[in-house]
Amino acid sequence: MRMSTKQRLGDAGTYLAYLVVCLFFAGPLLWLISLSIRTAAEVYVSDIRLWPQNPTLDNYFSVLGNQLFPRYLWNGLLLSVAGAFGAMLFATPAAYALSRFEFPAKRPVMIGILAFQMISPLVIMVPLYRYMDRIGLTDSHFGASMLYIAVAAPLFTWMLKGFIDGIPRSLEEAAMIDGCTRFGAFLRVIMPLSLPGLTSAFVLNAILGWSQFIIPFILLSKPALQPIAVGIFNFQGTYNTTSTQVLAAASVLSIVPAIVTFLVLQRFIIGALTAGAVKG
Amino acid sequence: MAEVSVRKLIKRFGQFEVVHGIDFDVTDGEFMVLVGPSGCGKSTTLRMIAGLETVSDGEISINGELVNDVPPRDRDIAMVFQDYALYPHMSVKQNLGFGLKMRDMPRAKIEEAVQRTADILQIRELLDRKPKQLSGGQRQRVAIGRAIAREPQLFLFDEPLSNLDAKLRVEMRTQIKRLHIAFNATSIYVTHDQTEAMTLADRIVVLRGGVIEQVGTPDQLYNHPVNRFVAGFIGSPTMNFIDAELAESAGEASIVFNDGQTLPLTAAQRQSYASHKGQKVLFGVRPEHLTNVFTAENRGGAGLVPIEIPVEIVEPLGADTLVFSKLGGSEIVSRVAGSADLRPGTRIPVHVDMSRTHLFDPETGVRLTAT
Repeated sequence: MRMSTKQRLGDAGTYLAYLVVCLFFAGPLLWLISLSIRTAAEVYVSDIRLWPQNPTLDNYFSVLGNQLFPRYLWNGLLLSVAGAFGAMLFATPAAYALSRFEFPAKRPVMIGILAFQMISPLVIMVPLYRYMDRIGLTDSHFGASMLYIAVAAPLFTWMLKGFIDGIPRSLEEAAMIDGCTRFGAFLRVIMPLSLPGLTSAFVLNAILGWSQFIIPFILLSKPALQPIAVGIFNFQGTYNTTSTQVLAAASVLSIVPAIVTFLVLQRFIIGALTAGAVKG
Repeated sequence: MAEVSVRKLIKRFGQFEVVHGIDFDVTDGEFMVLVGPSGCGKSTTLRMIAGLETVSDGEISINGELVNDVPPRDRDIAMVFQDYALYPHMSVKQNLGFGLKMRDMPRAKIEEAVQRTADILQIRELLDRKPKQLSGGQRQRVAIGRAIAREPQLFLFDEPLSNLDAKLRVEMRTQIKRLHIAFNATSIYVTHDQTEAMTLADRIVVLRGGVIEQVGTPDQLYNHPVNRFVAGFIGSPTMNFIDAELAESAGEASIVFNDGQTLPLTAAQRQSYASHKGQKVLFGVRPEHLTNVFTAENRGGAGLVPIEIPVEIVEPLGADTLVFSKLGGSEIVSRVAGSADLRPGTRIPVHVDMSRTHLFDPETGVRLTAT
């Protein structure tokens, strides 16, 4: 059937809206890339030009030449993976219990978990620092990763609960009749079937951990311990002349791993984000 | 082999009681069917026997041992679920052997049991497939196979055929019956389908609203229902119920319908119902006892009363024909010969086999018998 003019116009409008939204979000990123290939002199030129007059990759070389840069990357990887892994350890049994058991105040508990997720570390920055300082967990990857875990666990739990909700109860009941304990049924039936959900929740939380700024910024003052997100910030102070272009190059380099991971594993991530949605 | 005994069994979900203290026994090797409309507590009862639901009150014993607090894995039972509940991440072979593996059976023994089961159910060529590569009927076969591979002392079935299409359901029903005859294992089977109950069961427990209405053999339930509910639930099409009065007509005790039509009682019935004379009753007759077909059973019987009924709707089934009609002011169905050329608006002669009819108390629904 031929599309009516009205439909065509409607479609055109939709695509136009997509374009505007896309530009809105891509704009800063493009500007960041533009800045990263400029010379110091061109950073502050007044005319808005996306492609600089004298594009250069020098900024990238100077970032990559920085001794601490690989260290920052490694720290970022370590903290984000430790955070996601630790969150998984706590979230998996919690998600199973929330999905399968009825207990008093179950709803408030679930809402509570979500409510904690909504508290930004920024709000509790000062008490958090004093608390961690008092128990001697500042300037340590262990202390920082504990907070990464705490921050990631609520989202992880909710995502995984949605996923486990979609696994029929009769499967673990069959396993329990077949000779498993409840824990055995969890390990042998629920865990293998949750693997796609676990993977996606893990990847998503690792990516979120990668871009975590506040926690390491508060807790880690030694550059050798800092992850990339905070490390970039140091480039601001390292160079005494205008350093915006170097900062921009470092930022671009820092988001590359996250984008690559996302592109490679996007199927899993989208799966996890929609798992809960389908099975309300 | 096992005997199961259920005593004063109660199940509450919070404040809400769904099973109200039921009692029944399943003898060794018996095929017991729990049947009833949805929400009658049949599945809950089965799940309590399986150990998947806690018992709120009362006792469940298997072979004389109280199992109320025994976990499912230690009850030596197998269960076939409505949704098959095959482990999606395991092959058919692994599914069949899972229960044996959990019981630490040696690998060679498991292999042997799996092959034997696959032969019985003719699923040998499916052993390496995953459940999602199977059709509904094949999945059901594997689910039954998983239960029999372990040779448990008690089989539980929770509406195992309700997800299959009609043809496959009949096929699997026969298969289950064949397996029961071969293994003679004690089985408890839950269904809402009275045909399944009648065809499979040695005995049937009819449940309604969390209480037992009647326990008996298919024959007892069909021929001697204790009340209107059981009479109406068992048999298809369902029994016809007509408001009437037990009165004197032409010097004989008869059924008098609201529109004045009368049906004479048999001698035996006159004796049985003597004490109910003059009472309002509910007259119950099954479509197959309101027919124009003579059988070896009813031919020449004393209770055959010829009447004429108006034809309203005709449903030919081939072997016989259902005629929707009116009798005594109520809608009724009668089952007549399949070859009869029937047209709505005409009248056909049929006979009522009075010896197969029942009278119920219109208030309580209880079947009236000799007192």
